[in-house]
Formats: sequence, structure tokens, C-alpha cells
Amino acid sequence: MIRLVTLDKVDPGDIHALVKILYAAFGLGTDHAGDRAMPPDVAAKDGRVDAVKLLTEVEPIRLVADDKVLYITAAPLSLPAGPLGEPPCWGYAVYGGQRAVISLSKLPGRGVSEASVEAWRNRLAREAIHAIGHLWDLHHCYDARCAMHPSWSPNLAAQPDHDLCTFCREKSERKIRLAKT
Amino acid sequence: MRGSPPRHPDEPKAEFSALEGIIQDASDLKVGDRVVYPNQGVCEITGVELKEIAGQQLELVRMRREEDGAAVMVPKGKVPSVGLRRVASGELMEGVFHYLAAQYDDPELDWKVRHRDNADRLVAGGVLGVAEVVKGLHALSRIRPLPTKEREQYDNARHLLVNEVAVSLAVPPGVAEDFVDYALMPPAGTKFVLKPPPKPILMPNRPKRKRIVVDEEGDGLEGLGLDDLGIELVEGEAVEGEAATVEGEAAETAEGAEAGEEAAGAEAATAAPAVRVAAVAPEPPPTRVGREEKPAKAPPKAAAPKKAEKPAEHAKKEKAPARKAAHPAKAAPKAAPKAAHAAKAVAKKPAPKKAGGKKK
Repeated sequence: MIRLVTLDKVDPGDIHALVKILYAAFGLGTDHAGDRAMPPDVAAKDGRVDAVKLLTEVEPIRLVADDKVLYITAAPLSLPAGPLGEPPCWGYAVYGGQRAVISLSKLPGRGVSEASVEAWRNRLAREAIHAIGHLWDLHHCYDARCAMHPSWSPNLAAQPDHDLCTFCREKSERKIRLAKT
Repeated sequence: MRGSPPRHPDEPKAEFSALEGIIQDASDLKVGDRVVYPNQGVCEITGVELKEIAGQQLELVRMRREEDGAAVMVPKGKVPSVGLRRVASGELMEGVFHYLAAQYDDPELDWKVRHRDNADRLVAGGVLGVAEVVKGLHALSRIRPLPTKEREQYDNARHLLVNEVAVSLAVPPGVAEDFVDYALMPPAGTKFVLKPPPKPILMPNRPKRKRIVVDEEGDGLEGLGLDDLGIELVEGEAVEGEAATVEGEAAETAEGAEAGEEAAGAEAATAAPAVRVAAVAPEPPPTRVGREEKPAKAPPKAAAPKKAEKPAEHAKKEKAPARKAAHPAKAAPKAAPKAAHAAKAVAKKPAPKKAGGKKK
């Protein structure tokens, strides 16, 4: 089961749309498990939130085996710097684990028109699928049309789709099947 | 270090040079050490066990794969040959990232060579070899989508690389993967200050299989490798051989019109030896009919494997005209009168007896 937890205020309509898309993408029951407060001491001086620290310190929710939880925050996230610098952070997931977090801060403006809201929801769904894909052991994909393609890639379309490619879909289905058994 | 098995019995088994950090002696290992088992990932040494396997007392190094906790056991004596190595140091890992972010040459386009080379790199190339596989297949994926096998290989290599980076830099695997992809696919406008990347791992060169190139316009005898055997082909003999083949064909045409495809197959099988006899053996003095038809000498032993390939190709080429002759009506309306004419000509002349021919 996939459980959504909001750390900041998100429109209920957006959450409802996200629940439907996640259910269609993974074939797993999805629900909104409520709101939680942002843990203290996770924000750095530049106002960004350490994504790794956030997932370790956030108030847990009740989970059973094979449950995945996705935290949604409006705060910008940061990652530790690597040998070539700090990669941009759209979200972070414990690879093969149970917890992931995504940020709304890097999404394009939501707008007010029906089309722009729809585009914004699609982009939110893509980031959510990407993060939950990591929880199901999926790596980044080289296919720019796949939801597992890195979100910062220059090859990504302006309004990317939220579907998984055949390889990633089959792999995630295999993992989900194994987990169920 | 032991390489992958040879492709042919004649080919020597590949031996890879020892890499930096490879464990040469099992006694260097201590409980709690983290090592990398090629193609398996990062493991932790949990102890040494004594086990009886097939009546032998074996001392086994027991490891636990960190990813899923699977147990891996290696006999102590085989530790150097399986390619067990220490987790890459921070300095080496930095070199790997500079390699990942650097420009890439054109990828190898022959998939068989590429696949085997990548498999070798995953086993014996160390962390840089794994990075080479990831970068090479990633570069190839920009040209065209990877086939299923290579897609899996790419995913496995990426998995191994991400896990080793995570252990080496002491970061979670999710962050390590972002580091890798930040180097591979940097965001638009990002420029790295790169150091010269480390030297790529040199895999042992394997001798390529000798391919026989048949000249389409020639008589097809150049590719037989007769020069290698020290046999010179005299012009007259070759012509005689051809003539024999043509005669044989003509005879077969007459029979083949009745016998159909079976005759065509038999003709293809007999035509090639006719050429071989003319080329290899000096023509023996014709004493008896039976002896003349048999090959005078057994072919030299060294020539056997090459000949086994060539006549098959030659027979294939000759099968097509044979079929045409066997089905004159179907093949071409123009060919029909020719075949009939040839049959008449053969009927007038006594047909030359062939090896294993009919006895009256």
C-alpha cells in the first residue's frame, strides 16, 4: 500500500488526483494518511531542508510490511555534496526502503487555468512515481520519456509524462509480486 | 585473476592483470572487513568456516552480501582468483566521477564484442571497469535504445556502481545514484572542472576468428586457404575441376528433372568434392574406373577443419542453380529449353560414371 503524508498544506483536489494516478501506476492501494509537522532542526541556513535528515527525523506513521510512505513538502530540499558538487534535489527516497519525500518547490507554477493545473498535477505525479519507483528498487532510467529519468536531465520534455518505460514497469511489477508473496 | 572461459578450445583462457586493492591472500581478511565480490556487490566478512564438501575438508570464507543479507562462501584458496577486492578508496572514486563526467569516445558497435567486453569489465575491471560499462552503455543508449540483454547488463552495472559509491563515500544509495547521474547527465548549463580521468582498464586482446572471405566474382577457391598449405593451384587443373563440375551438373540435370530436389541435394554434395580432388591431389594415372572416382589420397590433417567450412558454403551456392534445373518450369521459362537441350546432349553421350554410381 502507498500512503501519502503531507508536511505542508496541499490542495485536497491535487491529493485526490495523485492518489488515483499512483493507484493506476503501481496497482497498489493508495490513500492520504494525514498531515505531519515538519521536524525541527532539519532546515539549513539557506532555508533548504536536508532530505536525508528529514526522513530519519520525521514523525513516523503506522506501516505494515511492504507499505511505502511518501512525504510531500513545499520546502526546498538539499542533498549532501558529492565529488562533482551537489546534485539538484527534487526528492529523495531510501532505495529499496519504505520512506520517500518529494518537494513541490521545483515544480513549475500551478496557475489557475484548468490546463495549467492539469499539467502541474501531472508533474507532481511524475515526481511521486519517481520517488516510489526508488522504493521498489528501480534505478534511474536513460529513457527520457520514463518517469524514472532524472528530473534535472536536459533531455526531459517541458511537460514530461508520468508513465514508466517497459523495462521499469516490468521490474517494478516483479518486485511488487515478490513482495506480495 | 581468472577471466571468463574461452570461446574455443584452441583459445587460451583469459588471465586478467591484478588490480589495485585486489586481495591476494585470504589471510589478509578479517571479520567485519568490507569487500567487493565481482558481479555480486559489497559484502561483509562474517568468518571462516570448515566444511566437508564431496569428501574434502574445505576452509571457506563466509561473507554476507550487504544488499540483501545473502550468504556467499568462497574457498580460501580461491580468494585471489575470484577477484575479491577492497572497496574503492575516496581518491579512486573521485577519478571514477571525473571519468563519468568526461566526454566519451564512440561506443563499440559490434554487440557481441561489446557484450563480452562489458562482462569481462564487470568481473575484472574493478570499480572503474563497472563505471566504464555504465558510461559505455549510456553513451550507446543515446544513439539507440539498448536491446534487452544489454539493458539488463546496464541496470546490473549501475546497481553495482551505486552500491560501491554509497559504501565508499558513506552516503545512502539514493544519494549515490544522484551523484552518478549528476556526472552522467548534468543539468543544462552545468560545467565541471575535470581532472584527467584515470586510464581505462585494458582487457586482454582475444584473437578474432579467422573469416574466410570469398570473392564473389572469382571461382571461390581463393578462400580455401590452399596457399597456407603450400598447395599451388595449376590453371589447367582448376579448369578441369570446373569442367568436371559442369559435366556433373549436366548429368544431374537429366536425372534431376525426374528425381526432383533429392537429386539437387546429391548434386550439391558431389560437386564440391570434385573441386577438392582436382585442387588437392595430383591426378593419378587412370587405371580403373572405380579407382579414378575415389579420392586418391586422404586429405592432409591440417586441412580438415577449413575444408569442412568451405564445401558447405560452396554447396549452398551451387544449390540454387541445381534447384533451377530440377524445376525448369517453375524457375524460368528461358531455362527450360536449355535444360532440355543439355539432357538431350547427355543422352547422346554416355554419361561419365560417378563415385558410388549405379551398377548395371
